[in-house]
Amino acid sequence: MERKKDFEALYRKNLELTKKQVREAVNEDLLIIQAISSVGDIDKTANLLSKRLREWFALYNPELEHRVKEHEEFVKLVIAQNEKKADDSMGKSFEKEDFGQILSLAGHINSLYELRQQYFNYLEKILKKYCPSVLAITGPIIGAKLFGHAGSLRKLAVLPSSTIQLLGAEKALFRHLQTRGRAKSPKHGILSQHPVMGKVKFKEHGKAARVLADKISLAARIDYFKGQYAGDKLRKEIEEKFGKWE
Amino acid sequence: MGVRKSKIFEVYESDDFRKRKLYTANLVPGKKAYGENIAVQDGIEYREWDAGSSKLASLILNGCTNTGIRNGDVVLYLGSSTGTTVSHVSDIVGKEGFVFALDVAPRVMRDLVFMCEDRKNIAPILADANKPDSFKDRVMEADVLYQDIAQKNQVEIFLKNVKAFLKKGGYALLAVKARNIDVTRNPKDIFRQVRAELESHLTIIDFRTLDPYQRDHCMFVCKRQ
Repeated sequence: MERKKDFEALYRKNLELTKKQVREAVNEDLLIIQAISSVGDIDKTANLLSKRLREWFALYNPELEHRVKEHEEFVKLVIAQNEKKADDSMGKSFEKEDFGQILSLAGHINSLYELRQQYFNYLEKILKKYCPSVLAITGPIIGAKLFGHAGSLRKLAVLPSSTIQLLGAEKALFRHLQTRGRAKSPKHGILSQHPVMGKVKFKEHGKAARVLADKISLAARIDYFKGQYAGDKLRKEIEEKFGKWE
Repeated sequence: MGVRKSKIFEVYESDDFRKRKLYTANLVPGKKAYGENIAVQDGIEYREWDAGSSKLASLILNGCTNTGIRNGDVVLYLGSSTGTTVSHVSDIVGKEGFVFALDVAPRVMRDLVFMCEDRKNIAPILADANKPDSFKDRVMEADVLYQDIAQKNQVEIFLKNVKAFLKKGGYALLAVKARNIDVTRNPKDIFRQVRAELESHLTIIDFRTLDPYQRDHCMFVCKRQ
């Protein structure tokens, strides 16, 4: 009977404590990670639906669909309905009701793009306050993606820069390790999306990724340990090597 | 199709011998823990215990006849995750027993807390198993220690906790994931090395690899002298 009482006391104490701990574990890092994951999901969804919209709209006006390659721009043009069909168009004229279906899909896709912009601004704002130096080097999307992979600013700050260089390339890295070098080692993970990568020659991608990772690592440490803002200085050091971006 | 007693305490199996399935008697009838299948026989509800999602179940299906967990035991469960296996352990120990379910991640704790509210014999603990001191006043001496955590130093953590919380003569179960210790080495070598580390502190009763249910995993059943 004594044991039963102990159990009950421990049950209540642990449940209460754990609930409190779970509540207190919610922090800025988690908000950033949810926002960036949401951006990723929106990108995927918008892309999928845009492709469907293209197929559908091309029945009506294939020339416009063929001309405009950018999804977002295409959706806006569909909504605006300003484009006149060419006289010798391959497309068929639609009844009002049939065309209305296409339009409402375009409207929903457009609001997805607006939502993405809203999250982009939100991420920029929250990162500016939380880790300004990292933001200066990476921009909001890549910065937040690094967060998502590392788990938190603390974890990003304690990671070696060689790990930061390969965040997002886990699959390729383990393939390399498991085949004992028969598969080449990856040069970069998320960092391949960085604007600098578009500027350098293919042969220098690895070098650029390494430099970027170094500077991000330094920036993350400065931000985590609340040092003096050094984003501009670090950014300049990269720009001297590989040229300006944005 | 019916459910009958198996050779293991409080664990049941289907009498369909083409595919052996495990069951435990539901502690809180009418409530599922995680969306598992339910079988009812003679008014008792049994929850199906899927070996694909539980290492303890695959250990039993691979022929282990003594897991060391019995009705009325106090179990310290390290690495509970969302509580799939924990719910079955809670069925096994029953109302007289108790389970301390520990995990480091707040995310999985959330699901576990909801389960604990239904099952009064599980206490959730959000703590790092690598630091036994940080949760020592939240648990009591355990009859059984079960560990399934994905850490490189999982054996070291296991021995630390055995020393701190397991009573003399108690059972200690360790699930080893070879891929977590070293991805490049052959799992067999790693298991052999783990065995050597364990042998100097505990008596190993049973060792089984968990294929085909869990790849590159194995489980040690040990006893503290």
